[in-house]
Amino acid sequence: MHSRWLYCSLALVWWVVSPAHGQNVKAQTPSRNGGDFSDNVQPGNKGPTGVILVKGAWASASDSVTPLPEGGNVTNSVFTNQYFGMSYTLPANWAEKYKGPPPSDSGRYVLTQITPAATFKGPARGTILITAQDLFFTPLPASNAVELASYSKDHLQADYKVEMAPTPTKIADRSFTFFAYWSPAAQLHWYVLATDIRCHAVEIVLTSRDTKLLESLTLDLNKMKLSAEASPTGGTGGDGVPVCIKNYARDENLLTRVDPIFTEHRFNPVPVRIIIDTEGKIKHIHFLSAFPDQEKIVTDALKQWRFKPYRQGGQAVEVETGLRFGSGGYRMPLAAATAPTD
Amino acid sequence: MKTAKRALGFTLAMLFLAGMALAQTDPGVQSGNRGTGAAFSSILSNSPSGILSFFTDGQKRFQDVESVSNSPSGNNGLGPRFNSNSCSSCHAQPAVGGTGAAMNPQFSFTSNGTAPKDTTPYFITATGPTLEARFPFFFNSNGTVNYNAPNGGVENLFTVSGRSDAGTCSLPQPSFNTAGNEGNIIFRIPTPVFGAGLIENLDDSTLLNNQLNNFNNNVGVGGAFNRNGNDGTITRFGWKAQNKSLHIFAGEAYNVEMGISNELFPQDRPLPGEDELQTGLPSNCLNLSGTGYPEDTSNPASTPNSAVLDDVSAFANFMRFLAPPPTGGVVLNGQQVSSSTISAGSSLFSSIGCSVCHNPTPGTTQVSNFTSSLSKAPVNAFSDIEVHHMGTGLADNVSQGNAGGDQFRTAPLWGLGQRIFLLHDGRTTNLITAIDDHEGNGSEANTVESNFDNLTPTQQQEILDFLRSL
Repeated sequence: MHSRWLYCSLALVWWVVSPAHGQNVKAQTPSRNGGDFSDNVQPGNKGPTGVILVKGAWASASDSVTPLPEGGNVTNSVFTNQYFGMSYTLPANWAEKYKGPPPSDSGRYVLTQITPAATFKGPARGTILITAQDLFFTPLPASNAVELASYSKDHLQADYKVEMAPTPTKIADRSFTFFAYWSPAAQLHWYVLATDIRCHAVEIVLTSRDTKLLESLTLDLNKMKLSAEASPTGGTGGDGVPVCIKNYARDENLLTRVDPIFTEHRFNPVPVRIIIDTEGKIKHIHFLSAFPDQEKIVTDALKQWRFKPYRQGGQAVEVETGLRFGSGGYRMPLAAATAPTD
Repeated sequence: MKTAKRALGFTLAMLFLAGMALAQTDPGVQSGNRGTGAAFSSILSNSPSGILSFFTDGQKRFQDVESVSNSPSGNNGLGPRFNSNSCSSCHAQPAVGGTGAAMNPQFSFTSNGTAPKDTTPYFITATGPTLEARFPFFFNSNGTVNYNAPNGGVENLFTVSGRSDAGTCSLPQPSFNTAGNEGNIIFRIPTPVFGAGLIENLDDSTLLNNQLNNFNNNVGVGGAFNRNGNDGTITRFGWKAQNKSLHIFAGEAYNVEMGISNELFPQDRPLPGEDELQTGLPSNCLNLSGTGYPEDTSNPASTPNSAVLDDVSAFANFMRFLAPPPTGGVVLNGQQVSSSTISAGSSLFSSIGCSVCHNPTPGTTQVSNFTSSLSKAPVNAFSDIEVHHMGTGLADNVSQGNAGGDQFRTAPLWGLGQRIFLLHDGRTTNLITAIDDHEGNGSEANTVESNFDNLTPTQQQEILDFLRSL
């Protein structure tokens, strides 16, 4: 019954829119400067608070100009992500309280998380979570957003009940898959709206106890602007957005390959996305997760790679693809390993 | 007018009472004896024959108080730097093998002869958490913090200076005041080791499959495993899952926390800063026990069998054979919480996504060559043994293995009902604060924390009650 209502609601959506510390000092061997012994009496370089200075494997890029999936931000109540060509005006009195974590080594991104601000007066709270899964690196047997939503539905844990199986819909004049489930124990509902952009499954996950709020938030998503260039397989390959192709860096497309040789065994995967220019050179490297030494070694190697230029309609165009260096990390199921690649 | 005022007063009073009824309360540390600290049933039934004596011998050694030299019982080798003088002084709550106790033994060390020449560091208090300290960064030679020189090693709180059994050895304590003033110090509390043998006996394949099953979450959680730099396998003990096995965990702690060299860590350990100064430990602070190195060795001529073991092996066996902490009833404000409330809290905990990381049962152990209780046993640890980004609120800027400055192992929650100090640095005793502190810039837990906020106060209370039943 509820499912039917939801479906109607979605159809409607489509239609409507297109210290300072004291210590008693006893006599002891005089302490020294340096190392762990400091007599600093002129405090002056107190470290920044709220900053992670010592990072493990982290995301980085070869330039600071090319947009990155994790590069979105909320400014003046508008979430903008240039990489995904996405612009979304937040509902009134909602805000991004905290930034998300760095991308995972399996290509999972938290693009933003929106929650009610202190000024919110509604009867029930909720959460808007926007994530992306890099389909080049997902360990799940899914090659697009529809398959990912289906996988989610088929592997829901016992705590949840399906409210609506994955169903095609339109949001902001773009094809999405809608999937809903709920928790009888928590009385929380999840509305998941998934679409493909640049070989990523982008998911908007709405959560609340209040289905009216969720329906209102779903309607509100129609105000989102999604760039025509940010299609499932990327853009036109021009200056803005390259075409994305899984496993493009295979032997038949490679003219020169120099393997990076890691000097330390860290046993972590190093997933990278590269953009190959129209001459077959790598113009941009995005490390989803790498230690600084790994970043340098991979960069030095990739600078030497040469590809056959990718042609589309007789024209050489830029292409974006993924490579996975390193070892260890997560388990890839057999189904994923044999999934169609292009 | 008077009637209107009375009505207003009544309304306000009712609102106040209703607010009280709705306010969530951490039931706090549960005081009942749940039987925590016992050995596995197969150990207690001495199966295989003789193994019980390995548990009881390890349990005794775990409680031995170490001296520098001249101990009548032969427990020598303490120092020259240390955080405490017995495993059980830190691993005490609610039983031997647990975490820090309500009364911090470290507070008495400067007055009871354990560290007579030292100053009690400012952060050690009588009723605060039992702590280990680390400086995330080295100091420059001019005494300022060098943010380009990560340190992260343990800065021992105490020295043997002035002890009658330590000869002429005299060492300075690290600059805790300066580090505190400069914001260059972080803390860790002891991790409890009940049920640790089960975690040790989970094979990597089980953990990886568990991770795969949890990739499909809609709460923004990623996660990765810390790994041994030599063989690449998953490491699992310590706040950042930096230790591979209980043997390594025990050997490192014996060396780092008590300054006792052993078969796994055969030298006395200088502070990272002492190496930086290219001085190391002075010669009159070496070999203080007079026995040579390592100070803890196996004892080939001893009887019975268990006495042949070195201390580290005995500690490892004790920890390995400790049963997981039993669950128990919960008392909130003097009233027994119903089992249906606990059950509801358990469902909620799972439903809002806490269990994506705090997995109730990450798997079943592999066949054990030690004892049957460790074989094919469910591990109800409430942890995925992965390290997760916890963001700026919890970050300590210390890297261990592959874990970076904001990554921490999902703390196993079994035994939480009887823990006093919470989170890696013991910053709070309140479960609600601990939950709130999971969110921050860069934390994987933000959405789950938000889901917690989306619950009704009654539901939130049910989760708190459930957690204190563990």
